[in-house]
Amino acid sequence: MVRGSRLRQIGWAISIGVVFAGFMLLTFRVNAVKSEVVRAERLIVDMEREKLALETEFETRANQQQLADWNAIEFGYAPPRADQFLESERQLASFSAPRAPGSPEPIRFAREMEASDYPALVSPLSSHEEDVAENGDEAESETAQPQSDAHLALARLD
Amino acid sequence: MASIAIDSMVAAGPMRVANKRLESLVTARMRALLLMPAFGLVALLALARIASFGLLGAPDTPMSMEQRLLPPRGEITDRNGLPLARNYDAFALWYNPKAMKDGGSPLVRSPEEVAAALAEVFPDIDRKDVAARLASGKAQYLRRRLLPEEANRVFDIGEPALELPAEKDRFYPQGSMAAHVLGYVKDGKGQLGMESVLDKELTDAASRGEPTAIALDLRVQGALEDELRKGMLSVNARGAAGVVLDVDTGEVVALASLPAFDPNDVKATDLVGTAEQKRRDEPSNSYNSVTYQVYELGSTFKPLTVAAAIDAGIVRDLGLRYDAKPVKVAGRTLSDSHSLGDTLNVPEALIHSSNTVTARIADKLGGDALRDTMRDLGLAERPYIELPARGAPIWPGEKWSRITTMTVAYGHGISVTPLHLASAYAAMVNGGIWRPATLTKVEPGTEVKGRRVFKEDTSARMRQLLRMITVYGTGKSANAPGYRVGGKTGSAEKPSKGGYREKLLVSTFAAAFPMDDPRYVVVAMLDEPKGTTASSFQRTAAWNAAPIVGKLIPRIGPLLDVRPDLSRDIDISDLRPLIRSDIE
Repeated sequence: MVRGSRLRQIGWAISIGVVFAGFMLLTFRVNAVKSEVVRAERLIVDMEREKLALETEFETRANQQQLADWNAIEFGYAPPRADQFLESERQLASFSAPRAPGSPEPIRFAREMEASDYPALVSPLSSHEEDVAENGDEAESETAQPQSDAHLALARLD
Repeated sequence: MASIAIDSMVAAGPMRVANKRLESLVTARMRALLLMPAFGLVALLALARIASFGLLGAPDTPMSMEQRLLPPRGEITDRNGLPLARNYDAFALWYNPKAMKDGGSPLVRSPEEVAAALAEVFPDIDRKDVAARLASGKAQYLRRRLLPEEANRVFDIGEPALELPAEKDRFYPQGSMAAHVLGYVKDGKGQLGMESVLDKELTDAASRGEPTAIALDLRVQGALEDELRKGMLSVNARGAAGVVLDVDTGEVVALASLPAFDPNDVKATDLVGTAEQKRRDEPSNSYNSVTYQVYELGSTFKPLTVAAAIDAGIVRDLGLRYDAKPVKVAGRTLSDSHSLGDTLNVPEALIHSSNTVTARIADKLGGDALRDTMRDLGLAERPYIELPARGAPIWPGEKWSRITTMTVAYGHGISVTPLHLASAYAAMVNGGIWRPATLTKVEPGTEVKGRRVFKEDTSARMRQLLRMITVYGTGKSANAPGYRVGGKTGSAEKPSKGGYREKLLVSTFAAAFPMDDPRYVVVAMLDEPKGTTASSFQRTAAWNAAPIVGKLIPRIGPLLDVRPDLSRDIDISDLRPLIRSDIE
């Protein structure tokens, strides 16, 4: 009986001890995290203050009077004139005028190749251009004239 | 458990009793032995807690991040959130001769060497003066508002006597810009401008964390001050004033009074005036000439008179010609600065700024009607604005004589501030509603209702007439292409003892743009401009105040979302034929 109760007492003591130890561990952990948060907050505050200081310094160095003086001496930028503003696409389009007589050919930089840019195909069977040429544009549409396919195939083999 | 033990003890014989007693004694001792460390532990814990209190202080003293980031005084920003006034933890350079604590020389090196080292960090200091101050052995500020990098370099000099305390400071990044609107802070209390008006809000812990936006636009303010300063210097004027007002809300987008002061470094002379200013009887730099100083603003009043006459139905036919010969009234003769013929119609009278015709129109209108209109335009009371510096106008009383009516018609015998004029012009062009000027940002749709002074069609007519003055008349140099500016010049002689002084003028240009749908009123005023090469040796507003507005509007228009457009304008075709081509 006594032994049983002693054992139970020890059991209680151990379990209380474990719980207490766990509690302490948790408290320490919480406090460690708390102090880390405090440190991070302190860092944020420092950073915010530094940001404010830098921002203020930047604004002071670039204040309106300073910029106006600089512009007057160095750059001479003027406000945009009325004709530099465009109200609409219509106004933009109004800039394109028809070509005046005697003005140079517009310079073209690139364009899509058209069928007429290639040398005409000559049929090797008939030695005539027109057999191929009349179907040249419709080469893809096979339903139109099936017999021309043979000419085209030969032409490509050539 | 104890009851069971006693039962067994009673059941057993006396031999057992002795054993049991011994056993229970042991148990009691064991229990005491167990309890003692428990008590000890509690005592130890209490001690540790006390020690932690002692070492780390009370647990709730460390401030939260919000508290630490809360500025001691709220920030003031412009309408777009750009800072105008903020708190800044600046370093000061404090000389503490007792820092070494050994009773010997306060500096490691000689004062001259230290002064030379400081001069390397701050090239602008007077080396001899600093050396003398270091040698004097008195604790004092050597410099304030150091940049962090400068503070680091001073620290590197390695003199313990050069201390760098961080100080809470109010800082105005834009320097003297908008100084009269912002004011300054002295000993934690706001002075003069919005700093004083918003003092409670800016210091209240609940509201100071958030910046307070005012109606000013920093970019517009910068442009206004820049153009005013250039204009003022080019004609050697004593001072200048300018205001840009939103016609529909009454918001003051820019307000400048020159000469200005630097709120970062307010000197006693800024407040009471320098010896030179006192000698010449000029106001000090802190004097607000837009809201406090009153002037006779001259011909800029003519459109107001004409508007009152049109509104009252006195002027119905704008083509009707009025006698333009000098008027003799109450023993005085009112005449025009230059004769433009015997008769003029209303558009011509405004374009050429005829005193005689305006006086005759006012005479026809009558003193009571003109007085009521002027009062409705707020010209009889201090201007409506938050600033504490609000000047009382010089109002000619309630009973207007014929001569008073006729002179007030062209802006003499009544003195108001330039802000009064701006508010009145806003009412004249915005459709006829007068609203108080304000420095508080007005959210769209929340503008005050205002009071109707002119009819809608009177306002439309005045827009046409004002536009004609800049297209054909004295305001030509304010006619910025594409911005449809309309406005009126005013060159008033300054009153002094025994009459007016012909050589001392107040030149004003009051304008609004764009005239087909007015958005902003601009008033520029120069106090005592001289005739210089820049103004072709002229003193009148057409040569000095109007060009300022002409240069300013293209700068501020795009910033205020007013696009210049050469293909658009107010329709003045019905009035155009009324102007004789020979005087155009």
